[in-house]
Amino acid sequence: MSGQYRPPLASWRAIILHRPHPSADAVLRQLERLRVEARCVWPALEPGDDGVDVVFFDADMGFDGQFPWPAGHAPMPLIALIGSEAPGRVEWALAQGSNAHLLKPVGSTGVYSALLIAAHAFETARAQADDIRSLQDRLRQRPTVVRAVFKLMTEERLDDAAALKQLRALAMDWRLTIEQAAERVCENQARADRSA
Amino acid sequence: MTRAPVPIAVLYSRSGPYAGLGREAVDGLMTAIAEVNADAAYPFRLSPVICDPGGVAETYGAMADATLKATNCRHVVGTITSWSRKEVIPVVERHDALLWYAFPYEGYEANDHVLYFGACPNQHLLPLFAHVVPRFGDRPFLIGSDYIWGWEINRIARECIEAAGGAVLGERYVPLNSVSVDPLIDEIRSRQPDFVLSNLVGPAAQAFVRAYHRLGRSDPAFAPSIRPIVSCNATETDIAEIGAAAEGLIVAAIYFDVLATPENRAFKARLKARHGADRQISGPYASVYSAVSVLAAAIREAGTDAPAAVRAVVTARPFDTPLGRIAVDPKTHHAALRPHIGRARDNGQFEVFESAAAMLPADPYLLDSAPPGGLVDQRMIARSSGHATLLKVVK
Repeated sequence: MSGQYRPPLASWRAIILHRPHPSADAVLRQLERLRVEARCVWPALEPGDDGVDVVFFDADMGFDGQFPWPAGHAPMPLIALIGSEAPGRVEWALAQGSNAHLLKPVGSTGVYSALLIAAHAFETARAQADDIRSLQDRLRQRPTVVRAVFKLMTEERLDDAAALKQLRALAMDWRLTIEQAAERVCENQARADRSA
Repeated sequence: MTRAPVPIAVLYSRSGPYAGLGREAVDGLMTAIAEVNADAAYPFRLSPVICDPGGVAETYGAMADATLKATNCRHVVGTITSWSRKEVIPVVERHDALLWYAFPYEGYEANDHVLYFGACPNQHLLPLFAHVVPRFGDRPFLIGSDYIWGWEINRIARECIEAAGGAVLGERYVPLNSVSVDPLIDEIRSRQPDFVLSNLVGPAAQAFVRAYHRLGRSDPAFAPSIRPIVSCNATETDIAEIGAAAEGLIVAAIYFDVLATPENRAFKARLKARHGADRQISGPYASVYSAVSVLAAAIREAGTDAPAAVRAVVTARPFDTPLGRIAVDPKTHHAALRPHIGRARDNGQFEVFESAAAMLPADPYLLDSAPPGGLVDQRMIARSSGHATLLKVVK
């Protein structure tokens, strides 16, 4: 058994952004079976709709400006409903940030797996975005680490490897990341400089 | 002996925004059916069940479904726009029927329940650009009706142009029911493109040609000999209705009334008896006629109208039609076709000044013809024609 996240569908709310159509009705029927509360809207989401848990959207007749958020920044998983496989339409759906898709015509299957795949892809993308943000922060702090190592080398008369080892030891003692520890080491220096 | 009727569902809009195309399609269909029914060599008669969805895409699916339920039809001849074809496909799949599609479209489809007799982009847009870009330049303005045909053809056009180092100077769309083209004319005038690719359909297409002609008369820099309009979907019907203002319009098509091929001469001679000498035959007329002729020949050869048997015959050997000897690829279900480039004269007729050397197999996903390397290149036609001879061996 994996620890895979499975969305609590029975408490989910969905919106289907599609003109009235048998395929939209089929998605609605499947969602009802999964006890996902759902409704169809067209031609655009309302400002309050950004609180729903998943949005199905028409990739065929869709156009820019249908969503109340910038393209690619949906706050929930998106599932494209694709009829035409023309690359222009597929690329438009991707630009909206589609996490999964269903091919039209939609029958009585497909929605459940699309929900799981979209929820997983959305969570993975969000977790990766968080990781990337934290790595970027750490990258930004690299000059501070260099300054701290250099300070320890000078003050403690250490070579670079030993100074880095000491910085790591300080970070562990203080229960901080190496970047935060480096910041504190440099801050102490700044305080010392100021009080001098 | 009584010949059993074989019912055929027909779904063309003879009313609505593209009614002109629908009327030509039904005329071509009725001519093919009349010929079959007059010919005792066919052990059956074709009996059309004609529906008019009025150009409303959502109506097509319901009408197809109702017809297939209420009749013994196992073949549907019809749909013009891709939007309406997509509505009918689930219905023919459900009923295990076969859709006979005979209009140019944007590609990216190959359905087991559809036989495609219209051209896809490697058979219309690419030959058109191979002709136009070297002569007029690589800085076009792209316009179209606001649905998948215009969007996708313009996207492919943009890829071709950019791969060849050119630039698209503008891209604009007009709703299907609108004829408001003046803003386009103003913008084109200020951007001065090398040519205008028009994927407009219906009344807007004609309105644009007329307005652009007025621009060319007031400003010679926009004369068709300098900055022409080019199109993959304008027909004889359009230019006959527009008249002299259409002069210089450059069109890629798989059929022109004036084609001097032996098969077209024979076709025209037969039609003279039916329509008189004055009737121009349009691409849609000839394409639908050809599709229905192949349908009848295949039913006769298969000895049944069961779709699987008919499809097996259609994809097994070439058929002689007014479009030439057509082979339908058993993998893609698309016909190999011969693209021609024509130019509208001032008398509502085309002159044809370039034709592909051979039947060109369809490449609906542009797998053999895709950028980079520049689609605007005769080599891709040569490559595909080599493939054509291979296909013809299938007899």
